[in-house]
Amino acid sequence: MNESMQSSGAAHVAGNLLLMAETAAIFNLQPEDADRLATAIEDNDTSTRAELERLGLSAPLMPPPPATELHPVRALALTVSQTCNLACGYCYASGGNFGGSDTRMTWDVARRAVDQLIADTTPGGAVKIAFMGGEPMVARPLIRQVVDYANQRGAVRAIRCGYSLTTNGTLITAQDAAFFAEHNFAATVSLDGGREVNDVMRPTRSGGGSFDRVAERLQALLARCDQIALSARVTVTPDNLNLPRVVNDIAALGFASVGVSPMITSPTGQGALKGRQFSQLLDAMRACGDEWMQHTLTGRSHPFANLATVLGELHRGKPRSHGCGAVRDYLAVDASGQYSACHRFVKDPLGNMGNLQQGIDHIARVDFLNARTVERQSPCTRCWARRLCGGGCHQEVLHAGRPACDFVRGWLDYGLRSYGQLQAAQPQWFDAHAA
Amino acid sequence: MKQPPKQLNDAVTDDFKVPYPEPILGNPVSTLLESGVGNCFPGLEFDVRQLDVRFFPGLVFEFLGVTPAGPDGSQGARLVYADPAGDPLLAADKPGQPEWITNLKRQFGGPQGAAIGSGDWYLHWVEQDDKRIQMYDYSLYQNAAVLTPYEGETCWWLIRVIEPEKTLRIALTQRAEDGSPTGNPVVLEGQRRIFLDEEGMIDPVYHPGELTSSMCSPWTHDFRDCACHYWASNHPDVALGEVKDPNDMLANRTDRDDPIQAVNFVDWMRRRSLPLRDVSAQTTLETARPDRYDPYEINLKWQELDFVLQGQEMNQTPDSGLRMVSKPYQSAHEMIDDCRELATLELTLALEYLYAYFSLRSPDQVTAEQESDWPGLTADLRAARQLILSVALSEMTHLRWINQVMWLVLNADPQLGTYQPVLTPAAEVAQPDAAHPDKIIMRPRSLQRATPAVLQSFVNIERPSGTLDTEYSRLVNYLGDQARFPVGVLQLAVRIDSDGLQHYQKFRDILQFLSPYRDHEEIYLRPLIEASPSGDAEVEAALLQITRAIESLREAYTLEAAVKDLPQANLHIKEARDAMHNLNDIAEALAGKNIGVPFFAAFEG
Repeated sequence: MNESMQSSGAAHVAGNLLLMAETAAIFNLQPEDADRLATAIEDNDTSTRAELERLGLSAPLMPPPPATELHPVRALALTVSQTCNLACGYCYASGGNFGGSDTRMTWDVARRAVDQLIADTTPGGAVKIAFMGGEPMVARPLIRQVVDYANQRGAVRAIRCGYSLTTNGTLITAQDAAFFAEHNFAATVSLDGGREVNDVMRPTRSGGGSFDRVAERLQALLARCDQIALSARVTVTPDNLNLPRVVNDIAALGFASVGVSPMITSPTGQGALKGRQFSQLLDAMRACGDEWMQHTLTGRSHPFANLATVLGELHRGKPRSHGCGAVRDYLAVDASGQYSACHRFVKDPLGNMGNLQQGIDHIARVDFLNARTVERQSPCTRCWARRLCGGGCHQEVLHAGRPACDFVRGWLDYGLRSYGQLQAAQPQWFDAHAA
Repeated sequence: MKQPPKQLNDAVTDDFKVPYPEPILGNPVSTLLESGVGNCFPGLEFDVRQLDVRFFPGLVFEFLGVTPAGPDGSQGARLVYADPAGDPLLAADKPGQPEWITNLKRQFGGPQGAAIGSGDWYLHWVEQDDKRIQMYDYSLYQNAAVLTPYEGETCWWLIRVIEPEKTLRIALTQRAEDGSPTGNPVVLEGQRRIFLDEEGMIDPVYHPGELTSSMCSPWTHDFRDCACHYWASNHPDVALGEVKDPNDMLANRTDRDDPIQAVNFVDWMRRRSLPLRDVSAQTTLETARPDRYDPYEINLKWQELDFVLQGQEMNQTPDSGLRMVSKPYQSAHEMIDDCRELATLELTLALEYLYAYFSLRSPDQVTAEQESDWPGLTADLRAARQLILSVALSEMTHLRWINQVMWLVLNADPQLGTYQPVLTPAAEVAQPDAAHPDKIIMRPRSLQRATPAVLQSFVNIERPSGTLDTEYSRLVNYLGDQARFPVGVLQLAVRIDSDGLQHYQKFRDILQFLSPYRDHEEIYLRPLIEASPSGDAEVEAALLQITRAIESLREAYTLEAAVKDLPQANLHIKEARDAMHNLNDIAEALAGKNIGVPFFAAFEG
């Protein structure tokens, strides 16, 4: 797959659409212009620039990496429980405890994390607190205490606090759902498919399946879904690559939004996708995308969230320097009071960002962001998708490299084609979904 | 070439260009009073929060924060005491005293005053323009309403937005243990204190030392370990590096041997002893701190810190000719002619900017629906209007200063001619060609609405090393060489010149504020149409005010230049100011009806 590396990284043609790699601008081309430009891109940079110039366009060069400007952290993940009642083989937290012993966050650690978050925020602003694990619901009393305390601290500084939770869904009660609704939680439930698929991938610690239990517990959340932003998230491994089936099975439980995310690195190596499986993944996601598009074009809703997300991002056209907001806007705090780059970096020295005693290590933040910026990633500077992808997930890149770039490009190419299709048929969709 | 392809998404595609590779020079904005560090960090000129302690006449508040143990219900704006008798505004009955003061005194003399005479009282809400802001966060918890008091800093932010010269109602309540308000509120009606009078004097209610009472005290060495990096004077954060030998300095202020050195920003507080001495300044305090002196060390090392002239470190007496090279005047006559032209240009720009100001919608016109569709619109409009007006006013000041330069020069050397006030607008304005920024084109003066293109043209006019700036730097160069003129002349010219940088930055800021609305003109611009000079009584009245202002200035400048009856000159200046205030009222009312005053008509016919 070295082909893509030799061709020009200045632009990309998908159907009749042209994407400018550096600015993320998208243009509509005449079919004959699109063909000529696609050929020029296959050749090299010089021919690409000449062809763009003929069209009255110019592809800006990649500027030097920008100086990193630090802003206060706006979102914090609290790893409230470093333990879990499930035993998924691929878990990034190695069964919830990140390779250590099962621990839970104390009230003192949580309180100080909230104090620092709020003290660094300007009055009138907003912060987000994400409860992560392990399985966060194991630490139910702490979650309630944190929410009450953060609301109180936020109130005296006129700061709005928003909350989210990523859960396996097995421990949720009706009282929990009422609490989430009262505080407008965004709740993400991890599920990997229908009963047969899910129970192989997401067993309990004693080895039983978890699907039926989640389905039962979910009723409480669904009953309050007017006030809870509820979605399901699928981790894609070689065992659940039949995504149209998986998405529909999960949607059948009542989810209006189902997002999928491929497993690229896991602590045990178990479950990670490899080689040919990425092209199977791409085919499966395209099939889901086609279904989504058919539904959308005929005015019906469809739960597959990934395509809608890509279309919104393409429309906003904001070129990225990083794959996500980790470190820049977002950090995680673990039970011992250590800050890390995000919830996946807990207990990982590569993502150490200070601790509660000494405060956030801002120098580490700057160094991390500077080092990880896409302008400094060696294969990325030649890739047309760099400003859309931002260089990928920091945690995956640092531990597994970039095995899935062709998949990412394939998916973004599909996204661009879909963008053209939806722009032509229903441009008003973007007013409602990508404002 | 064919039509370029159509862009579909919202990505920004303007190529990144560095239009002016040379650094911008001039006195940094941080040397100006309004950008003083003391406005952000208590510790320098004075603590602005202390002004608001007495925002309501007759009352003194304190702004209490949250204790380290967490909110205990005492945070907020607490009434320290009520002292109407000690407030000069309310102390004695004065003839012609505004009605609101009479009313407020009556309230202090009545049951309200009696109630707040004892017990602990806190500010509960403030109300202005039918808008009431509570000093409490309101939330529903387990189906009960919970009122949590805001901390003092947050209350202060809210009090800062209260406007003077408008009715202001406030309520005070007492508190229960948990901080929630109890009992009947005491409501008082008055106006916010005007902190500065027309002469710029601080209200006499403030006792000596009161405005600085919350500050660090340099003489007690408080700033030794100050967390806000306090130092007892404004100082540059960064400066351009020194050219090692000024004789080697090139016209663009760089060093012949080391061109990067003098265009490199260095940390002014850096430790000179380290090999780091000339490395670029770091972008954050955290990264810079290890390489720079801590505040306490400044006492020991102050001799090492460099003088900074026009943004550049300088350790030798600079030669004249420090400024960027521009074509020198051949004679004093040429300079005077240039001053006349500059005066006409200042007047033209003042009026063009003023027209653009009136074309912006008033923040009061923003409907609740628009504000919810465009959050921040009201604030953006208020800021944009305030900035553009400040530049227009500054140009009017320049009109005076450039006239003053002329009369001082002509008084010093009568052979050059007799001073005549220059108070007519220029017919044309020089500005960089949009397509070829290096080329200057002349355009006729014109009154236009503040569209992005028009604002961009204002940016171009005011740009450092643009047309206006170049003219003034010629003037400064020339006057700097001429010992025969009073020293004040040069200073006036330098001040006008350095203001240009602010104008440039302000217009850039305005463009920035308004950029979200650029495709929705109706959201921020009035459909203003320039009126015919005759036929509308209000338009004619507005033009008459301009004529009056100009005639009063003519009288005043003539008297001042001749060093004659100066009190009479002051009266004329006041007349001019009153006429401009009237003009403002009439023009704003007309603009509300989408009618633009054809300012230049006042000078025609």
